[in-house]
Amino acid sequence: MIRLLLFTLIGLSLLAGSALAQIEITAPGQQAIPLAVTRFLPLDGPVRPEIAAEVDAVLQYDLDLSGIFRLIDPAAFLSDARQPGLNSTQVDFGQWRLLGAEAVIKGAYTVQDDQLTVEARLFDTTGRRLLTGRRYLGKVADARRMAHAFADQVLKSLTGEEGPFNTRIAYISNKTGHKELYLMEVDGHESVRLTDHRAIVLNPDFSSVGKELIFTSYRAGNPDLYRKEIYSGREARLSHRKGLNIAGRYRPDGREIALTLSQDGNSEIYLIGTDGTLHKRLTNDWGIDVDASWSPRGDELAFVSDRQGNPHLFIMDVFGGRVRRLTDAGKYNATPAWSPKGDRIAFTRLEGGRFDIYTVRPDGADERRLTFGAGSKEHPRWSPDGRFLVYSSDEGGAKAIYVMRGDGTGNRRISPPGGESSHPAWSGPW
Amino acid sequence: MKKSHVLQLMLMLAMMALLAAGCAKKPAPEPVAPTPPPAAEKPVVSEMPARPVPGLQEQAVTELPVAPETVAVAGLQRIHFAFDQYILSDQAREVLAGNAAWMKANPGARVVIEGHCDERGSDEYNLALGERRALAAQSYLVSLGIDSGRLSTISYGEERPLAPGRGEEAWAQNRRAEFKVAQ
Repeated sequence: MIRLLLFTLIGLSLLAGSALAQIEITAPGQQAIPLAVTRFLPLDGPVRPEIAAEVDAVLQYDLDLSGIFRLIDPAAFLSDARQPGLNSTQVDFGQWRLLGAEAVIKGAYTVQDDQLTVEARLFDTTGRRLLTGRRYLGKVADARRMAHAFADQVLKSLTGEEGPFNTRIAYISNKTGHKELYLMEVDGHESVRLTDHRAIVLNPDFSSVGKELIFTSYRAGNPDLYRKEIYSGREARLSHRKGLNIAGRYRPDGREIALTLSQDGNSEIYLIGTDGTLHKRLTNDWGIDVDASWSPRGDELAFVSDRQGNPHLFIMDVFGGRVRRLTDAGKYNATPAWSPKGDRIAFTRLEGGRFDIYTVRPDGADERRLTFGAGSKEHPRWSPDGRFLVYSSDEGGAKAIYVMRGDGTGNRRISPPGGESSHPAWSGPW
Repeated sequence: MKKSHVLQLMLMLAMMALLAAGCAKKPAPEPVAPTPPPAAEKPVVSEMPARPVPGLQEQAVTELPVAPETVAVAGLQRIHFAFDQYILSDQAREVLAGNAAWMKANPGARVVIEGHCDERGSDEYNLALGERRALAAQSYLVSLGIDSGRLSTISYGEERPLAPGRGEEAWAQNRRAEFKVAQ
């Protein structure tokens, strides 16, 4: 009898003992996982605290921006933070549970001359197991890129979808005295100028295939559409028809470009090939038609038109030609940007002399305002995973580039200081 | 077996069953004793590709046409527009008549008509609106007898404001068409 009771009790305690909590994410912002990011330790070779500090800064920034985590203050960390822990048997998970951390990132680095190896691990503290691990090989100068890549991987392992932290943002800055095209990383680092037109460069767009951009430039005395290969630097004038050649946007498959031309006497939207040849005229009415934005399947275009009076957003079926109106509210709606996920279109509305950013469903329902307060926020563009928006805002005085989550939270400035920065575009996977 | 034993057994089995049902969703617990790391914990290895530097390669200046120069002259005055409009006001028409007279007095001159907007409004929409303003002025000049071959238009949208700053005074100055002589 007593043996039976004992056996029962032991059996019960085994069953009820360690409940493995599966970290489940439905969407950013809905759940904040307490996460501890520890400083990476030297595995072998020289101690390089500045490398560890860079990796740490990048991981904290990216994972905070993701909206999925609540970062635990490193001041609260206990001794296990200073212990190497590259597999689950080396980690004292109890310490992390004490701090309330549900996940912990640990890692190590090895420097040999200019070669850098970084080991990075994400652990589930409740299940006491490794969720994802990576080893990165490269140069010391690649430390930030490795950290961005791991942040992307952390998001992939927890949500099934990779993050965008290793991609690029293009933008226009006038810090040289002329509006030129620039490229920077998602956190604003490594900004580099791409053009030397000394005229006016506007409105870049990334190709989804190949590392190239299209943009409008007045270099030859007219707003012409140019294409530029980012690494070779090669440029070509793609469309220099009479009048405007503006607001070029690659179709998601990279094979055609929608843009606004006015060669027939009125601003209309056309399709051209990537060699600049005219393929098709898409709009044909008396109004201004501009600011085309492709649906992710490339079968529809959202655009701005004043054909019914004030500038409003419309959606066109590219194959059938049918046009329907998207926005009814407001007197001036502009710059639509269709999310790569397809479920929302971001745009700007002018009210009281300033723009704010909204999103709406492609059927016109569920309009939500994302930005508030002082300053004019313009030209929103989505990250390739559809989680974030990049835009320009003059809330700080001069126009600068900001990023925020798709629900309007987490906004932060990223463009380097100096001049006015505007017209951002977000690349695909880099 | 005694009846009380059977009862106790059944009670314990019932308790176990209840608790087992409650724990049914939980996977089997990990053994408490340390074991070597499972093979699944080997990290995936990624090599960072060599980092190319974006090229600032400049196309030779002779390969692409360079923007033609234009210059303002006293005889060609600018005209202004209402917000989001490209309609010519009466005052604008008077100024245009004066510009047409200058052009007739200077038959060799070719004129570039620039269309501009104030900073409100989207940049691309303003490029299109600026063009409409320039085209409206051009077509009025043609109606006054100026040969269209002497006229060309270009829009700068909100890119080249006359008056910096914000507010209706600056905005009203910036909503304009300018007339420059091509060199």
